[in-house]
Amino acid sequence: MKILLFLITSFCALVYTSHAQLLEPTAKKEPTIYDSIVRIEVSTQVSNYKSPWKTGSFSGGTGTGFLIGENLFMTNAHVVSNQKRVLITKHGSSQKYKANVLHVAHDCDLAILSVDDFSAFKGLKKLEFANVPELESSVRVIGYPIGGDRISVTRGVVSRIDFSAYAHSSIDAHLIVQIDAAINPGNSGGPVLQDNKVVGVAFQGLTQADNTGFMIPTPVVKRFLKDIEDGVYDEYVELGISIFPLFNPAMREALNVKQNAPGVLVTNVLKGSSADGLIENNDILTKIDGYPIDSSGSISIHGERVDMNEVVERKFVDDKVKLEIIRAGEVKEVQVTLAKFTYSKIFARKYEEQPRYTIKGGLVFQPLDMNLYSISRFRSPRLRKLYSNYVSDEVYIDREDIVVLTKVLKDPVNSALSIFAGNPVESINGVKVKSIKHLHELLNPETLPEYFEIVCDGISRPIILPTALVNEADQRIKKQYGIQSFYNLEK
Amino acid sequence: MKKIIFFISLMLGMSSALSAQENSVLRLNATLQGYSPGQPWNKSEPTSLSGLVTYLGDGKLIVTAALIANSVYLELETVDGSHRIPAKVRTVDYKANLALIEPLTDEGKDYLEKNFEAVEIGKPCKIGDTLQVLQFEGSGRALKTEGEFNAAKLTSGLVPGNFFLHYFVKASMQSAASSISIPVFKGNKLISLVVRYTSSEQKVEAIAPEVITAFLENAEDGEYSGFPSLGLVTAKTSDPHFRKWLKLNDDKGGLYITRVIRGSSAESLDFKKGDVLLSINGINIDRSGYFESNNYGKIHWGHLVRTEKKIGEKLDVTILREGKEETRSVELKATNEGLIQSHSFDKAPSYLVKAGLIFQELDSSYLRLYGENWLSRAPVGLLDVYNHPEDYEEGRNRVVFLSGVIPTPATLGYEKLRALVITSVNGEKIADIPSLIKAFDKAENGIHTIEFLEQPRKIYLSAPIADEVDKSLIQRGLPTLSRQ
Repeated sequence: MKILLFLITSFCALVYTSHAQLLEPTAKKEPTIYDSIVRIEVSTQVSNYKSPWKTGSFSGGTGTGFLIGENLFMTNAHVVSNQKRVLITKHGSSQKYKANVLHVAHDCDLAILSVDDFSAFKGLKKLEFANVPELESSVRVIGYPIGGDRISVTRGVVSRIDFSAYAHSSIDAHLIVQIDAAINPGNSGGPVLQDNKVVGVAFQGLTQADNTGFMIPTPVVKRFLKDIEDGVYDEYVELGISIFPLFNPAMREALNVKQNAPGVLVTNVLKGSSADGLIENNDILTKIDGYPIDSSGSISIHGERVDMNEVVERKFVDDKVKLEIIRAGEVKEVQVTLAKFTYSKIFARKYEEQPRYTIKGGLVFQPLDMNLYSISRFRSPRLRKLYSNYVSDEVYIDREDIVVLTKVLKDPVNSALSIFAGNPVESINGVKVKSIKHLHELLNPETLPEYFEIVCDGISRPIILPTALVNEADQRIKKQYGIQSFYNLEK
Repeated sequence: MKKIIFFISLMLGMSSALSAQENSVLRLNATLQGYSPGQPWNKSEPTSLSGLVTYLGDGKLIVTAALIANSVYLELETVDGSHRIPAKVRTVDYKANLALIEPLTDEGKDYLEKNFEAVEIGKPCKIGDTLQVLQFEGSGRALKTEGEFNAAKLTSGLVPGNFFLHYFVKASMQSAASSISIPVFKGNKLISLVVRYTSSEQKVEAIAPEVITAFLENAEDGEYSGFPSLGLVTAKTSDPHFRKWLKLNDDKGGLYITRVIRGSSAESLDFKKGDVLLSINGINIDRSGYFESNNYGKIHWGHLVRTEKKIGEKLDVTILREGKEETRSVELKATNEGLIQSHSFDKAPSYLVKAGLIFQELDSSYLRLYGENWLSRAPVGLLDVYNHPEDYEEGRNRVVFLSGVIPTPATLGYEKLRALVITSVNGEKIADIPSLIKAFDKAENGIHTIEFLEQPRKIYLSAPIADEVDKSLIQRGLPTLSRQ
């Protein structure tokens, strides 16, 4: 069976430590901490973004999880992503228990599972969480990494505490703790322990460096557990602003900020974000929830210098954040009610979603997102610019989706059109395309025009499809290319 | 019997001609040095190239422009290496990839006159003609390779996007010293200069004699004006559905006009995107853009404008607009330089360093700094300008951008900014480097305001500090802070 962690495999070194402690005879019947650490076996089905009408590929792998409450097992989101079946195995047993995913948080790579029948796990120790471990303090990583079927223990010391990228979603960054014990495929989701308390969840490694592992520290874990208390995971919230450091004396002078005064410059407030209408361009942010913001946008919490976003990081949907700003020389206090900013998800890798698409006359249209972008070699600079500036240029206001003509399934109706593949669609019969749904409607109108005139961004020559020939062509294409459905507009 | 006699006479004719070929060719050793696209105040490391030049009489020698591009020193050398003559460029056309050079001194001219035989440019060849490619070994021994002229096509030589008639000759050339600008002869006439050679296909690509003749005629009076162009960007109409939509009958060819280049001949004709180009001077253009030429079979229509016409000559152009044919007459202009310069050979790049901010005009030599895969690796904002200059034309002659930042007291906090297109400085729209330099004279209350197309949109410089920093940058060794 393929080891899970397809994300991690790419940046994991193969270091494997012995499981010597396992061999110690355990005559006592008293359950040990090992009994609370389980092996998770997952079968997955990964959506096919290249040919979205296909079923997707079946695969699977293994990871680690641990008991944190009554029928609540914690693991990584990437261990159970795209899952179709999850089985849990106890330490020292070969019995497999069917499990379900209760909550999954792709933005912080955590998930909660429960088993259908908890009776076998009753009485086992529920692992408790401690705080962020000290630098240089030693920790134990326990799990079921590659190299064998049984439990494995690795020791290491905490070598760095940082704010860094979480590979699973590819856009999120949170607090992260680096340890000098290797974290290998299969280790993912396992506890990192200090004095038998959990100080982190092992989750990723590095390919370029040996003996480096990363864990999700408890502040992130605790935030996740708090978020799901109401039964729903709401994800992280965002302010929706861009800031620029106020180091430059001339910039300060131009903006009327005293040379040593604190504060950072707002250069962009995203439409539709939490801050929209409350904060304006050229505002100077001076305080966030009472913490003074320095000219680089950092604040000091308990003596640690962190990004001002750390305050927002710890909040939840509908929580409020107080900002002190200077606008046109006047000090003001603004209260922002925090919300998710869904448009930035275009840069996040998505899981468990059905790819959306629609096909007309053999032309395959798909909305642009990270999953599609990462498997395609888009060369059109216009498309790449639309994608990379989707949020900063507020492209989303007019275009909820950037719809791309991804592929031409060759047929007499479209034989001259392959050259257009890989371009974003700007308009159809003069109407600007807003989303994949909108494009689908435009291509399936009540009364057919004589031609579909499809214009791609940056290309002057329109694509012409004679509507009289399209239906017949689609029947041919359906048969030839084995397509069950010509569209899917739901995630 | 008759056949054999013919054969012998042909042989004789050829052997006498070959010596004339050898006697008209010299080596040219060129030292080249351009400007560094990333640090435009610096010149890049000098390199040297060696190629062949062909003597045309009257002190003039012809060569491909590739050999002398960015040259700082040129020296003619007899093929056996016995004599050297310093030389200079007389006329160059980088788009056509042709140049005339001449000795620096009258002595040099006299030497050529006495010791070399002037050759003429031959007439256009017929497909199937046998041509001779002439190379020299280091010792000066001539290497002659015969090849068959098997196709003529419009391709670009040195400057991408500038298409000229090239001959394709099948010949298995050898590798020899001085491999650039190799002459191709027919009898004792010069036909072509080699642009590139693909050894795997034994394919020699060389500039057609019509192009060389037009270049020489234009250069005759010393005032070279270049090759004309119409200024149209077109798309094929081979897609049958597209043709129906355009109401193009099947008996017609036609090219869909996707763009009319600003300031071009076609713009004065009032052509628009969506018009269909049908014919030029009554010669029909087919749906892929070819016309039936007398000599070569199908040739791309650009040839009708580029080589068959001169600047200032009239051209009748027929288009189809909304189903109706219209013929209009236009006086041809030289190829217009667009927003992005087509090449930067021999041109010192324009730039301005202000307080450590480096401003440049965008061209491909800058983008090529991003390596072999620059088309995917260069900053996407700049690539978009490069690919769609028409979207950035308003108020601009060139696209000025911030290429980098030298850390100075004035650029504190700006160190990471780069690849940002400039829209205005101190409220003045920026059309090019000269207008940028002027705009920096208009600081308000001692502050310069610089605006970009993208985030962070606006930054500021203190004018007095900027002036001080500029002085210190000169002390640090920047030769000049701007070049227009």
